[in-house]
Amino acid sequence: MSSTNHHLNLFPPLIQAGHAEQFIQSGKTISFAQSPLNQSHAVFPSARQDAPSIKYSGVEEQPIFFASSETSPSSERRLFIGDTSIIFAALQNLTNTAQNRGQDWLQSQETHNVIRKLTLDYINFARECWIHTSSQDSSQFSGDHYRSLYTCLSLFAVLYVPEYGYEDAPVGDDLMEWLNVHFIEPSTEEGDHLSSLDHPWEDDTFWPYLVRVTLRGLSKAATFFLGTLSTHPSDNLRRLAQQLSPLLQSQPHLQSFEAERDFAYASHRWKDKVQALRLELDNVPEIDRHDGTENWWDRLSDIVGVLEGRNEVIRRVCEDLGADWREASVSWGVFTDVRLRRQDLPEVVSQVVEDMPPDPTNLEDMVHAALFSGDPAKALSHAALLDPWLAAHMADLMQSLSLIEKETNEDSGLNIRDFYVLSYSQYLHADPALWRITVAYMFSCGETGVRSADEVLMHVSLRLSSVGTIAHSQEETNGANMKSGDLAGVVKDINATCYEYQREEVRRTICRIAAQSFVQGKEYGLALSYASSAEDWPGLGRVVDRVLQEYISAGPEQFTRYVAGIAPSLQALRMQSGAQGIFIHRLMFAVRYAEFHQRLSNRDLQDAAWDLISMFQDGIAPKSWWGVLLCDAQQLLQYDGTLLFPYASACILLQHLEEVITRTDQGSGDEYLRVLISKLGCSGTTEALHALQGVRLALAKYFARCTMIGTGEKQVAERKFGAVV
Amino acid sequence: MSSAITTEAVPIETAHEDMIHEAQLDYYGKRLATCSSDRTVKIFDVVEGETVKSSGHTLKGHTGPVWQVAWAHPKFGNILASCSYDGKVLIWGERSQGTVGGGWTKVKEHTLHTASVNAISWAPHELGAILACASSDGKLSVLTFKDDGQWGADIFNGHAIGCNSVSWAPATQPGSLIHPQQPGTQPAAPFKRFSSAGCDNLVRIWGYREDTQSWVEEETLDGHTDWVRDVAWASNIGLPRSYIATASQDKSVLIWTKDSPTSPWVKTALDPSTTPGVPSAVAGKFPDVVWRVSWSLAGNILAVSCGDGKVTLWKENIRGEWECVSDMSS
Repeated sequence: MSSTNHHLNLFPPLIQAGHAEQFIQSGKTISFAQSPLNQSHAVFPSARQDAPSIKYSGVEEQPIFFASSETSPSSERRLFIGDTSIIFAALQNLTNTAQNRGQDWLQSQETHNVIRKLTLDYINFARECWIHTSSQDSSQFSGDHYRSLYTCLSLFAVLYVPEYGYEDAPVGDDLMEWLNVHFIEPSTEEGDHLSSLDHPWEDDTFWPYLVRVTLRGLSKAATFFLGTLSTHPSDNLRRLAQQLSPLLQSQPHLQSFEAERDFAYASHRWKDKVQALRLELDNVPEIDRHDGTENWWDRLSDIVGVLEGRNEVIRRVCEDLGADWREASVSWGVFTDVRLRRQDLPEVVSQVVEDMPPDPTNLEDMVHAALFSGDPAKALSHAALLDPWLAAHMADLMQSLSLIEKETNEDSGLNIRDFYVLSYSQYLHADPALWRITVAYMFSCGETGVRSADEVLMHVSLRLSSVGTIAHSQEETNGANMKSGDLAGVVKDINATCYEYQREEVRRTICRIAAQSFVQGKEYGLALSYASSAEDWPGLGRVVDRVLQEYISAGPEQFTRYVAGIAPSLQALRMQSGAQGIFIHRLMFAVRYAEFHQRLSNRDLQDAAWDLISMFQDGIAPKSWWGVLLCDAQQLLQYDGTLLFPYASACILLQHLEEVITRTDQGSGDEYLRVLISKLGCSGTTEALHALQGVRLALAKYFARCTMIGTGEKQVAERKFGAVV
Repeated sequence: MSSAITTEAVPIETAHEDMIHEAQLDYYGKRLATCSSDRTVKIFDVVEGETVKSSGHTLKGHTGPVWQVAWAHPKFGNILASCSYDGKVLIWGERSQGTVGGGWTKVKEHTLHTASVNAISWAPHELGAILACASSDGKLSVLTFKDDGQWGADIFNGHAIGCNSVSWAPATQPGSLIHPQQPGTQPAAPFKRFSSAGCDNLVRIWGYREDTQSWVEEETLDGHTDWVRDVAWASNIGLPRSYIATASQDKSVLIWTKDSPTSPWVKTALDPSTTPGVPSAVAGKFPDVVWRVSWSLAGNILAVSCGDGKVTLWKENIRGEWECVSDMSS
């Protein structure tokens, strides 16, 4: 398929022309890396793996080129893509509704009218874009490109999406209108030139102009110039021209009639009048048929021949005028067979193109020919080469009108529509910023489309750093009231898209990536929100572990600050039914432990002591942290002012201390002392145990103080009791 | 209508002191990792197809040419793996932002292979952080990284003489009907499977047996007549069947398809002779050795790099035939 082949050359060239052989001889080849972002590739020279080591003389340049097989849409193209995607979505809604309401509804007048309306919308957008780009020089696609989209879609509408009930009506007039709108002949300049002359018939262009306007059914222009013949020296011509004018004006047109039968009858009567004119024409003596510059009789005979619908005359006239197969075919439907129907058109066209073939190098021409020939699938294959946009949107319309095969191809697993719509969406994928539109098209294409869309969604750049910054600035303006847990920007959009298309797994994966990325940036509050949004409880646990790790590596102050970021999530998570206990427990510990340090730093020692004990009592302190907590207790035990722990609480500390020491003796040191060891920055259990011996000594002294003071226990106990009540 | 387009490629100066062996863009196409015979790995930020000045990091640790680099899925963090002629696989991690001397450090070293490690590949993210490695010592290894920072390695014989490439199967089987995923539902358990290409002219498919906790050879794809240089298993983008592409020293690219889990693999050769402008091409043969094959992320487009210095893009057309849709030459 040569026609689909695109050849990309790198510029600046990697290898100078003619040096390719030398390049390969040197043991190099080119290799590439695909970008997951779009359709681009990084291309670079590489060593052949079978080549012996390549020796270099000094440092060579090792460049990498980025090349793309698709060009990103420019701004005007983006606008066109965006605007037309709205129409596409509307048709998508319609077909989805049809699936629920059945085939009958799809073929109803109501539905047909909507499809026709949407087709006309596409046509209007193509026209707008043509007008817009024609006035610009720097457009990616020329105005002429959009003009060709406009002509193809308009023709498609005329032939395949007529008004409801008119499918079986004669099509000639509609086709002539299409031809006159899109392929204007003869030009206005020619008309202006002729009308400026006193004796226009003496000009070379006069008769060809008159024949052309007749052929195009442009009766006003024809009548005007027939009128100029009133000063022609030949009586016969003056008379015949006078008779011809009303004939041209009175040619019956389908739209003027209520019933086709009336139209047919009128056409028949009109043809009789043309016949009468022919007889009069034939009666003109040979001697009066030439006016000195031209054989006017031959020309007038051609005009009458066209009106008579004489096939051989129309074809010859078309060839003389340089008109193409389109004009010849359309004229057939206006003059030769006024009742020509859509289904008969292919037969006529096949006869015409035998002598006047379409231009195979002109894709627009080829699309038109396929549409005229009643071959929608072929029209799509040409349209795809002209512009993937055209093939996709026409295929979408064709499927909804049941013009193309709906069954999937066994090999590719795609039907015709999905194939072209997917091709278009891949073209869109060249521009990562168009991901919303890209996935909307993909999601309409069966399982292949859905999976492709998943991949595109998952690779949309989340731009989380900016989200973090926003959260940060809010945090600063709101003071202590840190706002976390709000999904923002792109992530919010992707989440919404995933909900819309029910892609829960994709959504979760994206949230996990976001969580990981926020951990990397130490935005723990946001990381926690994303982990819980992904219902990734082990992941949530890891976020909390990272926050606890901050205590070890950066100390209590930093730790407390980070916990402030994650604390608001705790309340929300407790409400969530699916949340798994163990990880929530760890989060609770982090929050409580941070509170404890907050109190310590505020010198609120009594409450700090109480916090410490309750963490043990409530069983939320992980065993690996007991050692750290016990060491924290040491300074409180040694506080000179008052006894901060009731006797029973001190006993709890002792119990836990005993368990840590005993279990370490039994070989579980790693489980109990891991965190303490890293906190102390020591190499093994010995130093950690040494630190705990210090706690034991402090406890022993504390018990001694309790006994000496005696009343202390009671005072503290009452205080605690009061707090609980 | 063959169109020759000159693409405005922006050359990026890598400052590698020797030949680049591979370049890989990360998950979002925002960073480019390159590796070279100069024993280093370099990382660049890429913005709109250009590298950002002074954004580069140079990762030093290998003692031989570095053949390949591979980015892990971002849900595991910013992690890069590299493999080298020195027989090692190194895992690199990016330090948290904001820490002093933020940048890349070596976090793991895999030294179980006794010869050059030629290829590495991360498993689909659904399976966890798992890396497959192919070595000239004839062995394949699979590294599994656990959440707690621990890791395990399986190593087993793959291809006598040497293993050239590895590629993972998608985590979900193709052809399964799509059901809308509702929040709260769990997808079917993914399956661990990968393909390997070797100097024994074969492609082998390996599956992990949970009951015996071991890797078992499931199938052998026998079709090439010389070393198989590369293998690429297409990701499951909803196509009705599985696709594997293989590139060989015998100058051919084979596309292997499998309709259902029980049906056999069927091979088709890409035929560059149908592409105009390819001089005197023999049916089913490329002009030179084919080094690399790689599937596009979405859309099942296969990129092929051939020893003749051309990269061609192939796509299955609407009739299910493979055709060349684009070629890039220097």
